[in-house]
Amino acid sequence: MVTEPFSKPVKDSVAKVNNEIEVGENLDFQRKWWRFENVVWVFFTLIILLDLAGLFGRGPIAKAERRSADGTIDVKYERIERTDSPSILTIDFGPSAIQDGKITLYVSQSLVKALGTQRVVPAPLETRIGNGGLTYSFPASRLPATVDLALEPSGPGVYDFTIGVVGAAPVHAKVFVVP
Amino acid sequence: MAAVVRAFFGYFFLVMIVRIVGRRPGKQMTPFEFVLIFFIGGLALTAIVGDEVSFTNAICQIITIGLAHYTLAWARTKSSRFARLVDGTPLILLEKKEWRAQTLRFQRVNQDDVLASARDSGLKTLDQVDRAVLERNGEISISPMQATPRKA
Repeated sequence: MVTEPFSKPVKDSVAKVNNEIEVGENLDFQRKWWRFENVVWVFFTLIILLDLAGLFGRGPIAKAERRSADGTIDVKYERIERTDSPSILTIDFGPSAIQDGKITLYVSQSLVKALGTQRVVPAPLETRIGNGGLTYSFPASRLPATVDLALEPSGPGVYDFTIGVVGAAPVHAKVFVVP
Repeated sequence: MAAVVRAFFGYFFLVMIVRIVGRRPGKQMTPFEFVLIFFIGGLALTAIVGDEVSFTNAICQIITIGLAHYTLAWARTKSSRFARLVDGTPLILLEKKEWRAQTLRFQRVNQDDVLASARDSGLKTLDQVDRAVLERNGEISISPMQATPRKA
């Protein structure tokens, strides 16, 4: 059943200018809006500057480096990452990392699942599961020796990870993933 | 769920951006506006869809945007304050042979834009213009001197 009237009389709801034309201008509101726009543009500029600096990932602020206490590994990574955006975590090994012609590297589950390890370069000779993560074995001869992990986080959040040569001091770090 | 949230947020964010960027004068889109609209739309689309390219996701996101638009339109009819925030108000640019300098500057409108609209209304000089109003949709309405108002 229709309750709204089919028609209603025209009322003077819009202010007339000089009693002539109904424009509906509201300069008080408009001046406040112009001031608001100026604030918003400053805010937008600030966001872009922070983005260029890397506060939202992919910039100088986002880059981080951690070395293990005994110098077996040096990890270069991005402490601020973006969801579904690729990044590279680089592990440089020190002299004591090579044992019996190979390097055995442990990575925590968070690096694999939450931070989304897509590829390990070079491909490991062997991968073992357990101890809350994965253990990779790489044949190794002499330094310099480097392994890269290609990451692609699947969702926003704060994730702790651990990475280290088995039997040596690990590196613990935190990554912030923005949406 | 995240895809629907992204669609909802994306719609309102785009409405806000277009509102902030401001209304350009003129009834037709210039190449400048084409670039802006399609560029912004394309960028928003890639972020909103992400890697969820299923038909199901597309349907859900389209419905979400439809609902968001309906909500916005409904809210505009319920609150004149909200309507003012979303649409803005008409602004007088020229009145009784005097330019509203502050409005022209802050709205980034040139006198040439008003002249173009006047010519479009069949007027030859600014002396024939009683009032020029920048409408909410960016069109400039011209009221000729001692004539019934016509839309530009």
